[in-house]
Amino acid sequence: MSLEAHNISIAFGGLKVLKDVSVAVQPGVITGLVGPNGAGKTTLFNCLTGVAQPQQGVVRLDGEDISVYPLYRRIQLGVSRTFQTPRLDLDASVLDAVMMGFYSRNKPSLFGAAVSLPSRRRLERQLRAQAERLILQFELTADPYQRSGALSLGRLRLLEVARAIASSPKYLLLDEPAAGVDEHDRALLAKAIRRAAGDEIGVLLVEHNVGFIAELSDHMVAMVRGEIVAAGKPHDVVRDEQVVTAYLGGHRVAA
Amino acid sequence: MTGYSKWLGSVGLLIAAIAGVTLLGEFRPSVYSTSTTIGIFALLALPLGLLYGQGGTVSLAQGAFAAIGAYTTAIITTRFGLSPLTSLLPAVVLPALIAFIIAKPILRLPELSLALVTLSIGTVVEVALQRGGDLTGSFNGINGIPALPFVGTSRIRAHFVVWTVVVLLVIGYVNYMSSLRGRALNAIRTDHLLAQAMGVNVALDLSLLFAITAGLAGLGGWFYAHTLGYVAPDSLSIALSANVLFMVVLGGRKSVLGPIIGAAIFTLASDFLPGTESQGMFFGGILILVLLFSPDGLMTLVPRRWRQRSTSVAALSAKPNPVVPSGAVQ
Ligand SMILES: Nc1ncnc2c1ncn2[C@@H]1O[C@H](COP(=O)(O)OP(=O)(O)O)[C@@H](O)[C@H]1O
Ligand SMILES: [Mg+2]
Repeated sequence: MSLEAHNISIAFGGLKVLKDVSVAVQPGVITGLVGPNGAGKTTLFNCLTGVAQPQQGVVRLDGEDISVYPLYRRIQLGVSRTFQTPRLDLDASVLDAVMMGFYSRNKPSLFGAAVSLPSRRRLERQLRAQAERLILQFELTADPYQRSGALSLGRLRLLEVARAIASSPKYLLLDEPAAGVDEHDRALLAKAIRRAAGDEIGVLLVEHNVGFIAELSDHMVAMVRGEIVAAGKPHDVVRDEQVVTAYLGGHRVAA
Repeated sequence: MTGYSKWLGSVGLLIAAIAGVTLLGEFRPSVYSTSTTIGIFALLALPLGLLYGQGGTVSLAQGAFAAIGAYTTAIITTRFGLSPLTSLLPAVVLPALIAFIIAKPILRLPELSLALVTLSIGTVVEVALQRGGDLTGSFNGINGIPALPFVGTSRIRAHFVVWTVVVLLVIGYVNYMSSLRGRALNAIRTDHLLAQAMGVNVALDLSLLFAITAGLAGLGGWFYAHTLGYVAPDSLSIALSANVLFMVVLGGRKSVLGPIIGAAIFTLASDFLPGTESQGMFFGGILILVLLFSPDGLMTLVPRRWRQRSTSVAALSAKPNPVVPSGAVQ
């Protein structure tokens, strides 16, 4: 059981962005992914989720080869992600944005959508209550009907995380969810990530704040220029020679 | 007020308006013909409102699909002598099927290209109808299409039948938009990638919707043929396709009643304004005014919850981004 990239390589116009990269995300385990800007972390996310097609290598979900599955299929199969630049309808209410997360597992049929049966309305009420709990848990807003665009950038990131969690994923890929998020909200985020792992969700987390990610992760992977240069216990990875020079600019950071 | 009750309010409003018009028709029977025409246009405009207003996917082929529906029923009833009820299904299914088949490659196109491609469907259909020989009656079209058996020549019945269908469609629209599928459709409008990342099969959903939109236009064409009794190549033409989009944009593409209001304004203006030139000037002028002062159409003149633009939109775009090549998903 895991979400795995096997020897993934991808190039854009001659620029090799990922070279023979392999990672595995295990259920209940938080894997931290670090690397300087341009290392290829987001591209790895894109390959895992089907936004980009690697030229070589295989992506497996619990043993099944999902390499050729489009993005929406992989989401339906339980791989949810957030984007480094939040993708949201800023005009939709916060409630609607979180509700959108339920789609992949609760989508009504065409007929069921056009004809509002009591069973559908009951399901929607349940989902709305769940969404309101998530809004409360992430302290997104006091008014669920507020326009998403009125939230701060930090809150928008949390909103994306809440939406991804709403889809009850098996694997959750978070691309810099803590960037621009203040300390209080970061604690909320850490708690939510831990809880997700506690619910046997496998988490892959990209984050530049090394202290934050090292503390949160069970396992850590470091990438430099499209290659994995270190993997293992967070404690060891942040002390790795190559990681320190390439990523931390030569300064040792306490973890 | 929740989203659902806001939507349901629209249904109530529509039924009240229909009741009012019905009453009015008791004093001036010509009202029923006008309202039937509005209802037929609404059959074309309402689903386009869903596709374009809620799904962000434009179509300039509603006139063409209506023509296919109208000719299908005209041919089946006049050439083969079958009942209009028999030809109802083919008149709806044929345009829907054609739309579904062409949907996948074209719905990926950017808005302007999509507008042009769908517009050219109208050209193809029009030429085909003109050159169709005895089957389509060429330039003369088809006369002597029988009236609907349950309507006959009764104007008030035609009025009721059309508007019953419109009300049912409005209810379907309202239900759809308040379901998770409605949210998915809005996500498609915002950003196809976002929708896919929510597990939405964008290509399939849009194709289905495009097909339904075309099928309902076919239904409108079916009504049209049996209400007027004749069809010609230019009676449901490219101009109509443009006018249907005009109705949607004018009335309000994001509201359920917008396309119906647009259909009413269009029909009334066409009736009262003499000559094509003055109509064209009126429609052009009113469209410019609406787009300048209320870009989402007349319906948004009604105050809405979220008005002011927020600061975080600026924050999002102002975020310093390392040079990202176009096409890269971050
Ligand atoms: N679609 C694309 N086309 C061209 N270049 C791309 C594309 N996607 C990513 N890149 C390039 O790949 C490199 C890695 O980018 P990215 O995966 O975003 O890195 P990270 O997330 O680690 O900062 C960058 O040099 C970026 O410009
Ligand atoms: Mg990145």
